[in-house]
Amino acid sequence: MRETGPVARARTADKERITIVSDNATRGADQGREPDARFTMANERTFLAWSRTSLALVVGGLAIAQLLPPFAGVPWGRSAIATPLILLGAVLPVLSYLEWRTNQRAIGRGARLGRSQLPGILAVTITVVALLAAAVDIYSRVTSP
Amino acid sequence: MSGDRAASAPGPADDPGTDDPGADYPGEDPGDDDPGRARERTDLAWTRSSIAFFGLGVAILRFRPAAGIPILAIAGVTWLLGHAARPGNQRIASRRVLVVTVAVSALALVSLVLTLAGPPSNGLRP
Repeated sequence: MRETGPVARARTADKERITIVSDNATRGADQGREPDARFTMANERTFLAWSRTSLALVVGGLAIAQLLPPFAGVPWGRSAIATPLILLGAVLPVLSYLEWRTNQRAIGRGARLGRSQLPGILAVTITVVALLAAAVDIYSRVTSP
Repeated sequence: MSGDRAASAPGPADDPGTDDPGADYPGEDPGDDDPGRARERTDLAWTRSSIAFFGLGVAILRFRPAAGIPILAIAGVTWLLGHAARPGNQRIASRRVLVVTVAVSALALVSLVLTLAGPPSNGLRP
């Protein structure tokens, strides 16, 4: 029951054309030409949220270094707590920009988004800084009451 | 006949007028299907980011006016970036995201130098 004649040939040609068109669409999107605006806006909001997180880290670090009275007997204590926070505040925007760019391209291709590394980096740094702050405070209280 | 009707009346299939609102939105969050709200959320995110810079600028203005004014300028630029440019244009999107990256990182680097090499502060005592 194989179809022959002009109609079947036209159908086959149609199928081929559709395949070519969709291939071209994929190739065009590969260069990030027409991504879905809702996804790119969500991507941008995520970037902005990381920027604000960075800003909060910098503000927290500055407050510790400038507004907190020095720890008794631990002159380097404030700097030791503030420096990793501010350093993370300097690095996070760059990492988050690179992630934004990667995601932007993935959205253009219609590809899956990779898993973000940033939450892990943030969680580890904050945990280490919190433990360091507790250690400095306890040490200061014990050695110079 | 009426008995059958009474038995099936409580079923939701019989009453399309009071269906659950989720039926119109297959997505998890109804707002996600609406580009208008996505745009509004993005505008608000830019406003929030601008306010974050603004608050920091005002706080620093009290202690060091010379450092506060550039931060207030960044707040203004952030607000303009969020509201003047329309999302969708890839080149503009890339530029304005880069501007925020540079602004936050530069601020962090200045703070880092201030913390490591600046004069030690006595802190605020109650």
